Amino acid sequence: MRRALIPVLVLLIGTSVLSGQEMMQTVEFQYAGRGVSVPRIGSRIEVIPVLALIGAGAEYSRAAGTYVVTYGEHTLQFTPGHRLVLADGDLHDTTDAPVPSPGGVAASFEFIDRALLAPLGFRLEPIPQGYRIAVGARFDDPVIVRPAAADFDATTTLVLTLDRAAEAIARVDDNGEITVVFADASPRLDPSSRLRSNRVRAVSSNGQALLITTAPNVGLLDWHSLDSPPRVILELGRVFPTPTPAPEYAPVATGPSPVVIDPGHGGKDTGAASDSGLTERDLTLAVARRLAGELRARGHQVRLTRDDGEGRALTDRTAIANRVEAEVFVSLHANASNFSSVRGSETYYMSLDDQATDEAAAALAELENEAGGESEERSDLDLILWDLAQASVLNESAELALEVQTRLNALSNIRDRGVKQAPFVVLTGATMPAILVEVGFLSNPAEAERLATPEHQQALAGAIAQGIDAFLRQR
Amino acid sequence: MTRRVFLIIAAAAVVLAVLLWLFFGPGRPSVSPTGAPVDVLPTPTPAPEQKVMLLFAGPDGLLHPELRNVPLPIEVHERVRAIVAEVLIGPVGELQPVVPWEAELNAVFVDGQGAAFIDITPPPEPIDGSRIELLLAYGLVDSILLNCPSLTSVQILFGGHEVPTLTGHLDLSRPLKLNKAFIAS
Repeated sequence: MRRALIPVLVLLIGTSVLSGQEMMQTVEFQYAGRGVSVPRIGSRIEVIPVLALIGAGAEYSRAAGTYVVTYGEHTLQFTPGHRLVLADGDLHDTTDAPVPSPGGVAASFEFIDRALLAPLGFRLEPIPQGYRIAVGARFDDPVIVRPAAADFDATTTLVLTLDRAAEAIARVDDNGEITVVFADASPRLDPSSRLRSNRVRAVSSNGQALLITTAPNVGLLDWHSLDSPPRVILELGRVFPTPTPAPEYAPVATGPSPVVIDPGHGGKDTGAASDSGLTERDLTLAVARRLAGELRARGHQVRLTRDDGEGRALTDRTAIANRVEAEVFVSLHANASNFSSVRGSETYYMSLDDQATDEAAAALAELENEAGGESEERSDLDLILWDLAQASVLNESAELALEVQTRLNALSNIRDRGVKQAPFVVLTGATMPAILVEVGFLSNPAEAERLATPEHQQALAGAIAQGIDAFLRQR
Repeated sequence: MTRRVFLIIAAAAVVLAVLLWLFFGPGRPSVSPTGAPVDVLPTPTPAPEQKVMLLFAGPDGLLHPELRNVPLPIEVHERVRAIVAEVLIGPVGELQPVVPWEAELNAVFVDGQGAAFIDITPPPEPIDGSRIELLLAYGLVDSILLNCPSLTSVQILFGGHEVPTLTGHLDLSRPLKLNKAFIAS
């Protein structure tokens, strides 16, 4: 009996020791000649020792509600139990979430490599004994670049908006070519973006660089980077002696540019619907066709983003307008509310978001005064350069919106809900005056009944056409 | 015989010691299976009740303020959590909720640039109408920004993901700033 106990005990000891070794497994990480054994917990490893190895600080912030990693100018934030990482103000989805651990927080190798080390300019490379932390993010990681240009009297501002933070510098090569070189990423151009500029002819990608092709005698005057969203901004203008100006009577090369009308929704996306079954998809198409007729009768070229029930991506709609260099872009929609009493038409134009905050302090004080609350100080926000570059287009959009809404107000039975600003997806990226018209509320039974009639649809189309025509004639 | 007894006792002692070390030792690693960080992260600093202004949908299709006394922690992200929780609870009066489904707040992030990121339950089925989307977005965003002066913008996430838009109108892929256009004057 006692003899039988011996192998059992030996087996127990062996199992326990093996189990302990499995649970306490460590992984070797090396960086700059130094190494550290980091506890491995299942498929995850402790995060803080890895970050400490490269000199990055990581601690839990009670103010932010996240772990905050700081390294040089970089700041990363993440929370155990969530798959989101804020990298220098940009939000990134990750494949899995870090978890609480004895050392604070543990994460998968992929999370550490892609979500934590890459934004700091490092990458993991496997070695026989574990991993080596190498300097430089993965060069093959793409960064999507959306170029947009705004021409001013003497200069052009070219804004390259990046889908994630990436280090880049702008330079002029010996042959005079302007390039934007990325340190750790391969730029890919957003296929939906279109440039409309007299000074910037094209932006193309080549390996880790973007090549900026400009009109003759246009060069790089200045450049800088901005965050939130990450952008590289180039100021372009004349860099050579100004040639003799053309005589005033020289012909100006112009061509007819269309008004692009976008019937909202389409395909399976029917949008809002009335109790009687009238859908936003069908109503906007009906009004758009009538609007096209009204505009053509006034001598304007017209292009519809869709002329049937099929759907189209929101970004494609703006891209069409940019590609044909539209005079104006008008997206038609019909509204819905939880309150069936809400009715009326309204017209929106793009909010560059920061612009909506200009009145933040006043709004706060005003509201709190009305409601009896206490006021608190708010700091003013800086106006970002992108806003300035788009200011002229935005002002024209406001004028167009006002012209259209004024005509809609004149229609009987239409309650004026006014002109408003909001960041609508379909208006984003439009390089011409662009508005979104909500012709009425399908959730209001009486209004839905009117919207279904050809007479009211024609009246709406006529009013919108008058507004567009008035705007174009005064340009 | 004596030697065998001694070996057995010694082996048993070793097993016992190993087991004790494994189960009660200081370095025993353990991981919460679902990563619930609540009980291991610092608890928010208690704070007295303060009057907050919450925005809900009115019969005119605009946002209307409702005042409510709420305990507001000092930490910004806890403050945001408290405000959003009240908005999700809904109005006590005649107004209607701005989030037209039973949503829960999953997470709150606050970055170093004054942007808050709130993650709420996604809608169980598609919703339509730009007005509904606008009131949902700005009901949450404006309620947070009016009560958290250190913040400048709010991005709404659904089910842990960024979404480009909810009903095909408003751009929700980036933080929104205070916009009083939808607040009844």
